[in-house]
Amino acid sequence: MKLGWKRKKQIMGEDLKEILEKSEDFQAVSYQNKKTKTRFTLFYITSLVDERILHEIALPKLLNGDFKKLGDAKKILPLAEVDISRNKNEIEQKLFNGAVLLTVEGEKGVCCFFSAQKENVRNISLPEIEFSVLGPKETFVESLKQNLNLIRKRIPVKELIVEEIIVGRYSKTRVAILYIEGLTNEENVNTVRQRVEGIEYDEITDSSYVMQLISDNTNSPFPQMLDTERPDRVAAALTEGKVVLLVDGSPHAVIAPTTLVEFFNSYEDYLLDWILASFIRFIRFFAIAFSVLATPAYVAILSYHYQLIPVDLLNTLVASRRMIPFPPVLEAFFLEITIELLREAGARLPTKVGQTIGIVGGIVIGTASVEAGLTSNVLLIIVALSALASFTTPVYRIGNTIRLLRFPFLIFAELWGLLGIVVCLCFVTTHLLRLTSLGRPYLEPIYPPRLHDLKEAFVRPPLSTLRERPQYLRTKKPARFSRKAAKEKKDIDE
Amino acid sequence: MGRLLKFFIMAVLAAAALSGCVEKNILDDISLVNGIGFDYYDETKIRGTVIYPYYLPEKDPEDKTFTAVSEIKKTILDDIGRQTADPVVTGSLNIILFGEELAERKGILELVDAFQRDPGVGSTLYLAVVEGTAREFLEENYRYRSTVELVSRIIQHNIDRGDLPKTNLQRFLFDYYQRGKTPFMPRLKRKPGKIVDLDGINLFCKGKIVDYLPPDKMFFFKLLVDEYSEGLYLVEIDEGKASVHSIRSKRKFRLMEKDPYKIRVEIDVNGVIDEFTGNELKPATMKKLEHEFENMIKEECTKLIRRFKEKEVDPAGFGHFVKTKIRNFDIEKWRNTDYKDLTVEIKPTVKITQSGVIE
Amino acid sequence: MNMQIPENRKISPFFAFILIYANQIGIGILTFQRLISKEAGYDAWISVLMTGVCAHFIVWMIVKMLGTVEGDILSVHEFVFGKWAAKIAGIVFIIYLGLGMITVLRSYIEIVQVWMFPRLQTFWFALVFLFLVLYVVTGGFRVLTGMAFISSVLSVYVFFIFLFALPYANFANLLPILDHSFTDLLKGSRTMAFSFTGFELILFYYPFLKKPEKVQKWAQLAIAVCTVLYLYLTVITFAYFPEAQIQKNIWPSLTIWKIIEMPFLERFEYIGVATWCLVILPNVCIPLWAASRLAKHVFSIRQRTAVPVFALLCLIAVSMISTRKQINFLASITGTMGFYIDFVYLPLIFLATLLAKKVKKSGPSS
Repeated sequence: MKLGWKRKKQIMGEDLKEILEKSEDFQAVSYQNKKTKTRFTLFYITSLVDERILHEIALPKLLNGDFKKLGDAKKILPLAEVDISRNKNEIEQKLFNGAVLLTVEGEKGVCCFFSAQKENVRNISLPEIEFSVLGPKETFVESLKQNLNLIRKRIPVKELIVEEIIVGRYSKTRVAILYIEGLTNEENVNTVRQRVEGIEYDEITDSSYVMQLISDNTNSPFPQMLDTERPDRVAAALTEGKVVLLVDGSPHAVIAPTTLVEFFNSYEDYLLDWILASFIRFIRFFAIAFSVLATPAYVAILSYHYQLIPVDLLNTLVASRRMIPFPPVLEAFFLEITIELLREAGARLPTKVGQTIGIVGGIVIGTASVEAGLTSNVLLIIVALSALASFTTPVYRIGNTIRLLRFPFLIFAELWGLLGIVVCLCFVTTHLLRLTSLGRPYLEPIYPPRLHDLKEAFVRPPLSTLRERPQYLRTKKPARFSRKAAKEKKDIDE
Repeated sequence: MGRLLKFFIMAVLAAAALSGCVEKNILDDISLVNGIGFDYYDETKIRGTVIYPYYLPEKDPEDKTFTAVSEIKKTILDDIGRQTADPVVTGSLNIILFGEELAERKGILELVDAFQRDPGVGSTLYLAVVEGTAREFLEENYRYRSTVELVSRIIQHNIDRGDLPKTNLQRFLFDYYQRGKTPFMPRLKRKPGKIVDLDGINLFCKGKIVDYLPPDKMFFFKLLVDEYSEGLYLVEIDEGKASVHSIRSKRKFRLMEKDPYKIRVEIDVNGVIDEFTGNELKPATMKKLEHEFENMIKEECTKLIRRFKEKEVDPAGFGHFVKTKIRNFDIEKWRNTDYKDLTVEIKPTVKITQSGVIE
Repeated sequence: MNMQIPENRKISPFFAFILIYANQIGIGILTFQRLISKEAGYDAWISVLMTGVCAHFIVWMIVKMLGTVEGDILSVHEFVFGKWAAKIAGIVFIIYLGLGMITVLRSYIEIVQVWMFPRLQTFWFALVFLFLVLYVVTGGFRVLTGMAFISSVLSVYVFFIFLFALPYANFANLLPILDHSFTDLLKGSRTMAFSFTGFELILFYYPFLKKPEKVQKWAQLAIAVCTVLYLYLTVITFAYFPEAQIQKNIWPSLTIWKIIEMPFLERFEYIGVATWCLVILPNVCIPLWAASRLAKHVFSIRQRTAVPVFALLCLIAVSMISTRKQINFLASITGTMGFYIDFVYLPLIFLATLLAKKVKKSGPSS
């Protein structure tokens, strides 16, 4: 039985009503209880409501149950979230979160609502960005509820606090702040809470928005918060004493505070044995330095400092450069931009096509440009290697930063050779020194130097030696475990 | 403020990029001179010859030489620059050759000094004297990919394993500037059949050649000059000839007496026998060989030192040694009287440790 | 003068070590061997040692003095002479710091011009470099210290590079020891002191250090390390060069680099000169910061205004100096001024502080 326009207006606020009427998926249906003859009306938005819950669970109870007043609904409905409210804002909010409003004739201005939200949750899939051979293979999905479930399962203690704040004028996004009480420094939690509350933005579609809006310095190519798709990494961060942000609709959690070196640590490092993991970490740092500095060094040395080149290498270098009409810097820019194009094209295309484009494009363009005498094959090797090296970064965001960083170095190398590279290095270092993450120094443990954290930054020490949590987090419980429980050293042959 | 500052920085950097540029030496647009030779031209002028490799894709480089005549090194390079397609740079210079006549008549000091002053030139380059003129030496097409590489390799491996004492620009300058020491240079010869030959050593005093030591003296010369050395020498005894390879020898000076000075030179040679023409190498024969070798070292080194004194040179650095042993060393007195009165006693100890794989 | 520094702006006393070290190691370390060997020949390494020992005493006095007044040099002057004298002394120090900054920057540009880029324009390089300095200094004292720390750590490898000269070294050169008179040695250590200035900057940043009681230890350690480094370079240089050759080389340390050959690197000095840019950065930043801080108290202006003004003045001064003669003149003025401030004036003011303390203590009671 459809209701007339006037009737609907009575229950809800005038303006809300008017505006809702314009949407086709807004529904208001009146019913009468068979026992008590109470007349009641249901309001809901069809696209948000799970019809099964409504028609198979809620409605039969309401029609056949002992239902006289609004208060009875709470008793007879076998649903978790049933509530009564007079607050218009709350009513509106609930309605758009997939709740069904229930009003009873005669009780004005009050309504009961129950949640019948339709959950379209993607299946938990394999990690794609932070893939690891070992370890769990779960990733976050777009549902906050599901994501919380993944984390709660890993930290089933009462100290894990989940605070929720709603941000975004239009998106009304639920942002959850997670931390472990009694462990995480409250100052960090307060900073995060304050910044999230302070967000003034219309549409928050992803955790990246939140991350960008609450970063310490937004004019920096360096990410100051770590985002991850791995629940295991989040759980580890929480128990380390960090604050985690989950955003509804985003499959990425944001971890703060963080430091630069953490971006170069893969979670898989902790799953391998420590010698191997340290070796891999070392390789990774080398790769990053190579990726940023190799092409600029090529440009600097070939344009200015021919004296540095060993005699045996001269022949190869000069012979490969002989027929090339451009100065080294143009040559380098040409190749770097080609690589960037390939990468961008590969990222925008479907996975399979993207891979093919990457490989075929790389080989064909590279070979062709060498044969056409536009670039030297030595530079081609360097650029390809540095592109490869930049892929070793375990966090996607920092990989992008490193891609970008190469260009100012190139310009400075062209300007003043090796001296220019050092000047640029000084600029970057100063920038990093000035950066903070939630007010904590970004370059820690390099500066301020903290020996304890330093040992974990560049190698991955054995787990048994990681007794203390990172110092820069200023946790309330600095020790991870008591030393007594760790095994005692035995003498030979005992 | 912040944004404005950043914009300003960008603008300034752009301006710097446009006008703050420094001169470039793009690798393929320069003539990388790797060797240079100087010859006597006339009383005031010298002739310089540069050699540089012209690199070709997928082939060995070709050597090119250019010559100019002028008074100093810098103007020679400028004159040569007028003949070459690309600017001439000396940053990867590897050898400097001096024609015999130049080194004898005019001296080479000013030229060497010019290279020492040039911040672009490394200290590890080799100096050598060539028989005849440096120009002809460099213009010859040897059967090797690059003349300079050939020469520097010859010098290098003769220092490492042969009888040539350690030498390069820095060591030459060290010997020159050190009070109580004089420098030397290897001497190169062009042999028929397009072959380069390391043909002994020239001794210098005040930048001019004063003596020449043939190759057979080089072994003993090296023993005296280098603190540690290696070399090969043929020893003859009644039972046959043996070539002794000195793997590691050590030289030490000791000041025995003052007024007049007496220095003892202790030379320890540890050697192996590479080749023996006799029938059997008995322990007694070995002893004999050792003894014979010791005698030879003593005799030859004494001869060498006598020769040094006659020519008033001191490549072994006895003067410097005495200076380190006494306070208020008077270099003039040393040069004029003390060096002539100096007695040097050679005390060699030879130990042959191995005689190859055959008993 | 109230000089309460907020606790979160303070740094641990360990950085006294870094800051002193970063200030001591600069341009001087590339050239000092020639100057001292002119005075005391191969015995000049004794002069280095003597200067080092003197510096130990003076640093001890400085830290003691600052501990007494619990402030920086301005507080000392105020304590001893009163407010106006403190301001005048402040101006003198600003001039000294400015001169130091200009000397370091111009000398470095000269090195680049001689060794790398003969046509490098002083103005443009100084401009970009001073932007970098501004970027560091406006970040505050923590960033400044961070820069000093990173530059010290990244450049420390250079000192190991000098070991490549060992095959060419003849340590017998240094014999006989004490071939020169004691007066020569004293002259040598006076010359050495010109290059050994820099530790006096602790006069300005002392209030920024936490746990003042530990500063003494780190400051002494820094002087010890610097003395050892200078000594190490002196010995290697003397063993590498004959006496006559050192005196011909303006930058003996750079000339030593010419001998270095590695399988992947034919020459090192270009990398070395570029690295030195990192080394001199704190040498310009710390004086600029100190000068601007002094200006804040002397002229009552904001530090944020003082820093760009000083940087601009520095830029103008640096680009006006063009010949080696002028650079040498400037360096000798700065060196002399530093020598008199560090080794003559500071001990005097130390004694004055002790005296003033006694007078003030006995004053109220009598």
